[in-house]
Amino acid sequence: MKQLRAALARITGFFTGHRADRDLQDELQSHLDMETDEYIRRGMDPADARRKALLSSGGIPQAAEAIRDQRSLPWLESIAADIRYAVRSLRHSPAFTAVVVLTLALGIGANTAIFSVVRGVLLKPLPHREGDRLVYLRHSSEGAGGSNLSFSVPEVRDFREAVPALGGIAEYSQWFGTLQGDDDAIRLDMGLVTGNFFEVMGLTAVLGRLTLPGDDGPGVPPVMVLSHDFWLKRFGGDSSIVGKQVRLDGNSVTVIGVLQPAPFFPSRVDALLNMVISPHHLSAQMVESRIHRMTQVVARLAPGATLEQARTEVDAVSARRREAFKEAYDPGSRFEIAVVPFKEALGERARLTLWLLMGAAAFVMIISAANVTNLTLMRGVRRERELVVRAALGAGVARLRRLLLTENLVLTLLGAGLGALIAIGGVRLLTTFAARYSPRADEIRLDGTVIGFTLAVSVALALMLSFLGSLPREGSFGSWISAGVRRMTGSLRKHRLQRALVVAQIAVSVVLLAGAGLLTRSMIQLSEVDTGLVGETEQVLTIPVPLLDPTRLSPAADAVNKELYDRMRREIQAIPGVIEVGLGSTMPLRRSMIDFDLKAEGKALVAGEAIPKADVRTASPEYFRAAGIPLLSGREFSSADQPGGARVVIINQTLAEKFFPGEDPVGKRIAWTGEVLRFTPFSGEWRTVVGVVGNTQDGGLDAKPRPVVFMPFVQEFAVSGGLVIRAESRAQELAAGATRIVRAIAPRVAIENVLTVEQIKDQSIAPRRLNAALVSSFGILALLIAAVGIAGVLAFSVSARTSEIGIRMSLGADRGRVQRMILGEGGVLLGMGLVLGVAGAFFAVRLIQGLLFGVAPHDPATFVGVAGLMGAIGIGACWIPALRAARIDPAIAMRSE
Amino acid sequence: MADKLDVKQGTLALMILRTLEVLGPLHGYGVARRIEETSKNRLSLNYGTLYPALLKLEQEGCIVAEWRQSENNRRAKYYSLTPAGRKQLAREAREWHQTADLIAAFLAPRREAP
Repeated sequence: MKQLRAALARITGFFTGHRADRDLQDELQSHLDMETDEYIRRGMDPADARRKALLSSGGIPQAAEAIRDQRSLPWLESIAADIRYAVRSLRHSPAFTAVVVLTLALGIGANTAIFSVVRGVLLKPLPHREGDRLVYLRHSSEGAGGSNLSFSVPEVRDFREAVPALGGIAEYSQWFGTLQGDDDAIRLDMGLVTGNFFEVMGLTAVLGRLTLPGDDGPGVPPVMVLSHDFWLKRFGGDSSIVGKQVRLDGNSVTVIGVLQPAPFFPSRVDALLNMVISPHHLSAQMVESRIHRMTQVVARLAPGATLEQARTEVDAVSARRREAFKEAYDPGSRFEIAVVPFKEALGERARLTLWLLMGAAAFVMIISAANVTNLTLMRGVRRERELVVRAALGAGVARLRRLLLTENLVLTLLGAGLGALIAIGGVRLLTTFAARYSPRADEIRLDGTVIGFTLAVSVALALMLSFLGSLPREGSFGSWISAGVRRMTGSLRKHRLQRALVVAQIAVSVVLLAGAGLLTRSMIQLSEVDTGLVGETEQVLTIPVPLLDPTRLSPAADAVNKELYDRMRREIQAIPGVIEVGLGSTMPLRRSMIDFDLKAEGKALVAGEAIPKADVRTASPEYFRAAGIPLLSGREFSSADQPGGARVVIINQTLAEKFFPGEDPVGKRIAWTGEVLRFTPFSGEWRTVVGVVGNTQDGGLDAKPRPVVFMPFVQEFAVSGGLVIRAESRAQELAAGATRIVRAIAPRVAIENVLTVEQIKDQSIAPRRLNAALVSSFGILALLIAAVGIAGVLAFSVSARTSEIGIRMSLGADRGRVQRMILGEGGVLLGMGLVLGVAGAFFAVRLIQGLLFGVAPHDPATFVGVAGLMGAIGIGACWIPALRAARIDPAIAMRSE
Repeated sequence: MADKLDVKQGTLALMILRTLEVLGPLHGYGVARRIEETSKNRLSLNYGTLYPALLKLEQEGCIVAEWRQSENNRRAKYYSLTPAGRKQLAREAREWHQTADLIAAFLAPRREAP
């Protein structure tokens, strides 16, 4: 208690030091006065009395010092003094401080932000119970759409029976529908799941319950589990929603619970339902056909089982069934099944991009640290005289070291603090960015670990900086001072270190710039890809209108839908400024959701050749002109191509070249084929080719051209549909009016993604643009830091060589010669950096090969351009100190020594 | 002067507290004078010994200080005992007596052979 009071009093004393000092002086003075009075009263001479009193005091300053130590916390006072001193000395060199703090802040900020994203998206354990035991089964083939093929129900059954290493197997299919609210309708992305799904995934409900095996099969009521973010977004986190009914595609569905926040794969979902909502999922086709592949499979490793065991067993199953069901596994298509840890599957699209950014940020950090080290070293040399004098006056080497450490800590912590602010902004920006690539973007946090990491880095850096500079050894101050301290002994080594750091900065900048250059060129190449459409893409508006109600698949319902589509077409056509309105199953530049096997009359497959496939699309006669798809030969559809009329198709150039090389396809006949047709409204009868249209970049500008078959919109069942509107000027201006017409005609349908073709095109460029922009900004940052670095080192070299230059000039060297000498010094560093950088980039760019488009990793133009840019900026940076060297006045330079 | 003693650690606080108890509120000079007198000038207190001890007692809450006019019209800082200080004095005095008795018993001339 007593000690506590005393400690508190001392802490207070630390802050009230100034006032107490005056009080103490007064008190000691009054003591002295009273004692003097006393001696005078006893008959002493006033001067003697004063002397005697002073003598007995034992020294007032010493007493005051002892009291000061007692009053406050001496160590704290000296640290406070150190900090005050550090801040003062940093304020005296504002340029140095600003450059160091900014450099560090940018380096630390970028790294913290990107590391937070990498951690959230790739590294953090999954929220699922024992998430590292979850695996995703990926079925792939070489055919169209084969990179993630899904499984059929009989295939999943095979795994259940013959893969003991998978303890639980959950089925999941992606589905969508329209959720009707009181006064709106939205598209609902759903997962249809088996009852064991949540048990296998290891997820729990935050409200209500999740689906159970009892919810499987026909004859049970449809139930819905809301995903956490959809619950917040749509229902405002209202817990009374559990137990209520919602309207989904005309059905009444009970909400039974809300799921904990969790990432989904392959894409996010709003809600999870049992299969009963989709009669199709319970139909014989779905349950019994081996090739009706609509199911994603997530499984949990059985206790004790390893990933390797699961892989071996799955391979055995697929080998066995390729033998048993030859017709379902066309050998030309090379079916394969990969067993991937679920966490990896979630991260796979983001992985390359994120590591690219992490690498770029780490490079920036290396350059910043090198630059800060360099600047600090130089400053240290300039301050040698000051430090030696302080040491000689009794500060002691340890105390000087502490002073340097305090100064460096102040610098790095300021940098880290500012960096943390940058990181906060950066994380926000990057979260939106990461959401494109990863279902786990919600899990990105600027968390304590990351901040702790940042702090550790800055403290480590401060320590390193403080022990890098050499201090005079105890007892050697005299020789230092007598040598004038200007001598450069001992700093030759430091000199070499500085130069090496500059070379490294330049080299790393070149690597970064090369990456940035390649990514930027990829982006430009991509944006220059010809979409295949003619006319201005800004003048074409697309409105997808999903009229199909999956619960009513009758021809009568289809006729009603077609009538609605045609009314929309006619009414929008009447809007002033509209040139043409077309109807089609799929919007231009979008990929069709459906493809089938295709055959041509009189053409046999070569043995072992994969069965050709083509995208299925429908179009009205106006569609081609509205979208701008050029007709190459034959005719477009016409109003004569009616239901019940002759079956006609238009094919694209790729298909024409594949099936009819060197022939005129018009008049030839083709037909859909394959078992799958039985489950679709499309027939396998022969269809006559009436026209050939140009290829368009469906599914992205970087997509390979695909074979496409267009059928007349009115002749086929409208599985999907939408409007393509060509306007006289910018189509965006028509969007509101056209959407209003569509909503009036189909009020219960979710109208989303009303975009111009220009916007659709941009969607495939945007991610690359962002990549290129991020890496380029890192590259430019690196370039600037490296320029500051080389200029700084040369400036330092000039100031250290002032007297040498003075002597040279007085011996007859002219200004030009001096300038060339300094430029040459910089040029050597620059050249070495460029050579090392180009060599490094040569290897490093291989890592980003997968992100490039239309440009070779070793693109000479990029390399030359980058080296040229770095060279030019570098020489520019050398110019300033070179000019300063040339302006040295020999008389002044030699006098200063 | 030859037999001047150093102030034993821990005893100065006790002397100060006792002085303030006997004489009431007093300034630093008065405390020093009184202790020197009581010790028959065997102790002499310089500022560097006295004032840190006063400050320590103040920080511990045993005494409080205030500026007042002295008897011969000088401003001086007067220290006075707090209730906590009184308790502290009583406790320390008791402990000191016990210690002194103990030491005295130990140092007493031997009466009989063991």
